[in-house]
Amino acid sequence: MQLRDYVIRRLLVLPFLIIGVSMIVFALTRVGGSPIGIYLSHEMTPAQVAEIEARFHLDKSLPVQYFYWARGVLQGDFGWSGVSVAPVAEVFPKKLAATLELSVASGIVAVVMGLWLGTYAGARRNRPADHITRVVAVTGASMPNFWLAILLLIIFWAQLGWMPIGRSTPEIIALVPTRTGLYTIDALLAGNLVAFGDALWHLILPAITLGYGATAIIARMMRSALVEELQLDYVDAARAKGLPERLVLKKHARRNALIPTVTVIGLTFGFLLQGTVSVEIIFRWPGIGKWMADSVLRGDQATLMTYVLFTSIVFLVLNLIVDVIYANLDRRVELGK
Amino acid sequence: MVDLPSPSRAAAPVVRDSAFRVRMRRVRDLTAQILSNPATVIGSVIILAMFAMAIFAPWLTAPNTPDPYQMPRDWAATRMPPGTPGYLLGTTNEGGDVLYGVIWGARMSLQLSLVVVGSVLVIGCIIGSLAGFIGGKLDEILMRIVDVFLSIPELIFALAIAAVLGPSFGNIMFALAMVMWVKYARIMRARVIQIKNSEYIDAARIIGDSKLNIYLRDILPNSFTPVMVQATLDMGNVVLIAATLSFIGLGEAGIAEWGVLVSEGQAGIASGRWWASTFPGLMIFLWGLAFNLVGDGLRDALDPRTESSR
Amino acid sequence: MLDMTNRPSGLANSPATIASVRDLTVHFPSKRGMVHAVDRVSFEIRDGETLGLVGETGCGKSVTGRSFLQLLPIPPGILAQGTVTFHPHARCGACAGTGCDACNSTGRRPAACPSCTGAGCAQCNGSGAETVELLRLPEDRIRRIRGDRIAMIFQDPGKALNPTLTIGDQLSEVFLQHRTEELLDAAGIGPEDRGLAARLLGRLASQRNGSIDNLLLSLPPLRGKRNLLLDALRNNVAAALAETQIANPYQIIDRYPHELSGGMRQRVMIAQALACNPDLLIADEPTTALDVTVQARILELIKDLQKRRQTSVLYISHDLSLVRRICDRVAVMYAGRVVEIGRTDRIFRNPSHPYTRGLLHAVPTAATKRGQLMAIKGTVPELVDPPPSCRFVGRCPHEKALCRSKNPELAQIADEHSVSCFIHDAAGAADAPSFDEKTQ
Repeated sequence: MQLRDYVIRRLLVLPFLIIGVSMIVFALTRVGGSPIGIYLSHEMTPAQVAEIEARFHLDKSLPVQYFYWARGVLQGDFGWSGVSVAPVAEVFPKKLAATLELSVASGIVAVVMGLWLGTYAGARRNRPADHITRVVAVTGASMPNFWLAILLLIIFWAQLGWMPIGRSTPEIIALVPTRTGLYTIDALLAGNLVAFGDALWHLILPAITLGYGATAIIARMMRSALVEELQLDYVDAARAKGLPERLVLKKHARRNALIPTVTVIGLTFGFLLQGTVSVEIIFRWPGIGKWMADSVLRGDQATLMTYVLFTSIVFLVLNLIVDVIYANLDRRVELGK
Repeated sequence: MVDLPSPSRAAAPVVRDSAFRVRMRRVRDLTAQILSNPATVIGSVIILAMFAMAIFAPWLTAPNTPDPYQMPRDWAATRMPPGTPGYLLGTTNEGGDVLYGVIWGARMSLQLSLVVVGSVLVIGCIIGSLAGFIGGKLDEILMRIVDVFLSIPELIFALAIAAVLGPSFGNIMFALAMVMWVKYARIMRARVIQIKNSEYIDAARIIGDSKLNIYLRDILPNSFTPVMVQATLDMGNVVLIAATLSFIGLGEAGIAEWGVLVSEGQAGIASGRWWASTFPGLMIFLWGLAFNLVGDGLRDALDPRTESSR
Repeated sequence: MLDMTNRPSGLANSPATIASVRDLTVHFPSKRGMVHAVDRVSFEIRDGETLGLVGETGCGKSVTGRSFLQLLPIPPGILAQGTVTFHPHARCGACAGTGCDACNSTGRRPAACPSCTGAGCAQCNGSGAETVELLRLPEDRIRRIRGDRIAMIFQDPGKALNPTLTIGDQLSEVFLQHRTEELLDAAGIGPEDRGLAARLLGRLASQRNGSIDNLLLSLPPLRGKRNLLLDALRNNVAAALAETQIANPYQIIDRYPHELSGGMRQRVMIAQALACNPDLLIADEPTTALDVTVQARILELIKDLQKRRQTSVLYISHDLSLVRRICDRVAVMYAGRVVEIGRTDRIFRNPSHPYTRGLLHAVPTAATKRGQLMAIKGTVPELVDPPPSCRFVGRCPHEKALCRSKNPELAQIADEHSVSCFIHDAAGAADAPSFDEKTQ
């Protein structure tokens, strides 16, 4: 079974890749000045400095240092965040929930809009609707999301005052008990529709900003995949059976065009992941992106490295899932040819 | 008796063209095909305009002495809106002319993209083609490294490197170069392997061409096309990522670079001063857009399977 | 009335014809000009016959075949002129389609012209049979004919079947599209029923069901009827598959195309095409993508089915030997025109157009000496903005001055044999060794 072997192979390689990434991350911590700089202060005596150095095993060789560092990571010790004045491992989940909420919302926007736009354009190839969609798509793919964010902020926040900044209105959200950490879900679970609306309202602008680029990528792929499918024989064969065009499009062409599009949808997760950084900064969204940006400015290495490790693992796992799904779907197509 | 159709003879004698001539003709046909796509033409025009702006910067605006790459500061003319005489696009919080920033930012972007893309092209292609051509242990080791590098999202990787090195324009360039060469290595390696296994290399080997000769004369020249598309797109991407890094805070404060300008202009938004961020941001967008359009056009022209524009 | 004076006999409209093509002309714009893909092609298909349409790649035979079902890529293509008239059959009233003496066991009889109910009028040119002009039919009407009265099978069954749908799924579509009433009837829903069950099942039976419909139909009160409908559908599909000598139809129903062999896939295609007992089958190179051994069996299958159901067949191919085996009459196409048409044995015994002759002589046989492959000199001309001359100019061993200035028309040279060539205008057929003499 080729598919099973493929999945097994990818799964076996995964841990090694993660280890490789961790080595790069570790190397980076050692490159950027002293890793214990954050624990030191001018008042310390040389003896105290030496003691701290020994505690962090800086007197040993690099591979040994890596070992201690890695062991710490596996035990859940990700270091101390100078920015939040707390262990990284403690602050991370809270910030992650915020980013998750934003990413999922943007992802939904991107997938729904992208697929719809792509189908709309692909079915009307070379007609005006198609050209407009392609222009929208190409601008979306080239748009720096921090610029789009600023534009939207200028228009909808500064000038019109319609949309808010930040994640929520503190007084409203304080009434909602935290269950998942996602304000919208928690508000629904608590039955608090006012809070739900508030959370949603805050979510709109950042989600559109973050989702715009991803929408463009998905729409583009869907369109070209659909155009390609519509040129294949089975589409004509379906028409020759007397099927109405909408059925030919939906049941035959679009379903098969979704197969290559799925891979792009997977890639957009990576896109969204990277986009959260700038978007969170501008909209003052308290997620891991903004947290990481603050750490960069303050030289807080622990946070930064945890962020890199985390996003890489997510990236790897997502790509693996997408590749497996694609391999499964593609099998039927490839074997048929 | 009726004449039966005569057996066919050999066709007209074959005209042999030099390899160079054939290649030039291909380039000419390709250019014609690319230019027939209106989107690509628009992209090319924008690129030319940007390049012109960058090259002629010292003549377009009076350079700020002693370091023209620093934004000028004029405390007498801070926060002027666009359209104020002498300041077409307005001024920043510190009295810097936004137009100056736009033009000299183009110059910085040009340097940035040429240096980074140029170096990753060379590095990536050499490493990739060697890996593909020599194969064996070297190939395996290199590809493992490439795989690990590709596991980290580009922006985040570049951000991490630039962060540990310290905020500076040079560090951003270095970080980007470190991150982006892997794509080229992969593309090049795949292409080289594909060609290595093709039949005309077997022919060269039979004739007895030395390995180096085969590598230089047969494999390398034919491996560049997929890399060209990626390079074009990356000319745009590099500026985009660099601007993002500058925006986050890894650039040098006060320089005439688009990302830095957008970041510094943020403070004025709440007070309605939109121009300091908007115009530099627009430039980043146009730069990326232009290279995306041209890169797409190039990709469509080179891929035999894609639909024609008719 | 049609002007019959300059038309060779055998091309007049009569009820013995199932379809007739008249002056079909299709153009395609290209960078270099207008490509005349099909140029004033005319022929007729008789009821119950197998007509071969032969020619090399690019001669316009596929385009001609597709025009019957409006499957041409118009835009960008242009239908410059022409008509394709069709006399559809209807279900035999005496046996409700199962087969009886009245309909010769085919289950179909020529439909009466709706405007005169068979008496004869202007609409049907006095023949009394329903007459439809296929090229200009509106979308909803051509859809009713597609798959039901006229069916098409394609060259590569691997590509003509959707790789991600099961065989059963794809065949069901034909029944759901054209046999809605019968399926509803099996579920106990009559044409006058109006209840919720009738509405939901009606949507299912006509492929308009959405997820909500499916959900409702899976609930107990409606589930029984739904299953009756689905069972009837499944049985129909299995019966259609069994017709093409597939041994285990119920198992094939749940398979995907990639799990079947090439020959099996083509049988499925044929089953799908013949599911609704069509009057005309258009076969576009159905055996080209198959192995030689499988080819023979598929050919036999088509021949057998054609004989049993008396389906008219338009068999498009580039392979002369195949065409010889199953076609009653053959039309030879070259560069967008029909150059010769007539009874198969006549054409093969006495090929009269130089192109046909060249084709037949080009096929190597056991008698051909080594090193002596015959080929027609020159190449197929550009079809872009062609000059007013015979298309075979430059390749024809019998070229005359006249051939360079005028394009010949089809003219009858013998009973059931027409050629478009100036050689045959004056004298009779030129004498040339016949195909059979040369081969064996």
